[in-house]
Amino acid sequence: MEAQVTHDPIAAPQVPPGSLRDVILALLLLVVALCVVLAGWAGWFVARNRAVILNQLWGGAVVEFFLLVQGVVAIVQGAGGGGAADPLLFWGYYATTLVILPLAAAWAFAERTKWSSVVLLAASVTVAFLEWRMWQIWMGA
Amino acid sequence: MPERAAERRTGRGFGRVLVTVYGILAFAALGRSSYELVVKFGEAPVAYTLSTLAAAVYVVATFALAIGTPAWRVTAWITVGLEAVGVVTVGALSLADAGVFGESTVWSGFGQGYGYVPLVLPFVGLWWLWRTSRSASEERTA
Repeated sequence: MEAQVTHDPIAAPQVPPGSLRDVILALLLLVVALCVVLAGWAGWFVARNRAVILNQLWGGAVVEFFLLVQGVVAIVQGAGGGGAADPLLFWGYYATTLVILPLAAAWAFAERTKWSSVVLLAASVTVAFLEWRMWQIWMGA
Repeated sequence: MPERAAERRTGRGFGRVLVTVYGILAFAALGRSSYELVVKFGEAPVAYTLSTLAAAVYVVATFALAIGTPAWRVTAWITVGLEAVGVVTVGALSLADAGVFGESTVWSGFGQGYGYVPLVLPFVGLWWLWRTSRSASEERTA
């Protein structure tokens, strides 16, 4: 980490070119944190032998909301000429990341055993992993 | 009895998780192969054709396991079996000669690039198909 990151990306009234990247990083960390919480919640349910409940799906919806925000920020950044190093690869990953939780939630909710919680756990971990891959692709790694 | 009946379906119980992991791998393989076909097919046609084939097999296997009716169960046996053969064969060949396909594929290095999930999954799938078919026939004779 460089010492140059001293400005606050959220509170900055104007948006200089570099700070949008900080917003992207902050959003990414937020989504990853939410995924970890959701995975932990699902893991707790697995341990307690319980099926997925509706509140957990709402949790997934919160993750999806921030994924959409990420998409908007990525479009804005891309329109400004500072987009992903490989846009096709990035948006391919983005599309996959976006559909995983809804599909997994529908698939999990139809099963009323603890296995539905394992499905949610797997999906949350996958989204967190894909976020990390998207960051790598964004940075041109 | 209802629990036993549920167990016969390949997409139920533990099968839910199996189908989920299959679905994720299908997405990964499909995304990878579409990207390779669009952007750089000419660089390594053999490797990228193999990736596309692998992706198609994963997609069909996911649906076959999810639906799990007798006809789809046959399809599941074939596609999951193909994956097991594919990952072992391609893995062994890529280990013997890294440049054999020109570029790496989903199955190269026994699925190393995907945390060896492509290596483990078909065998779990075969076990699950065997297990669920056994409980199905047991119930028929009972």
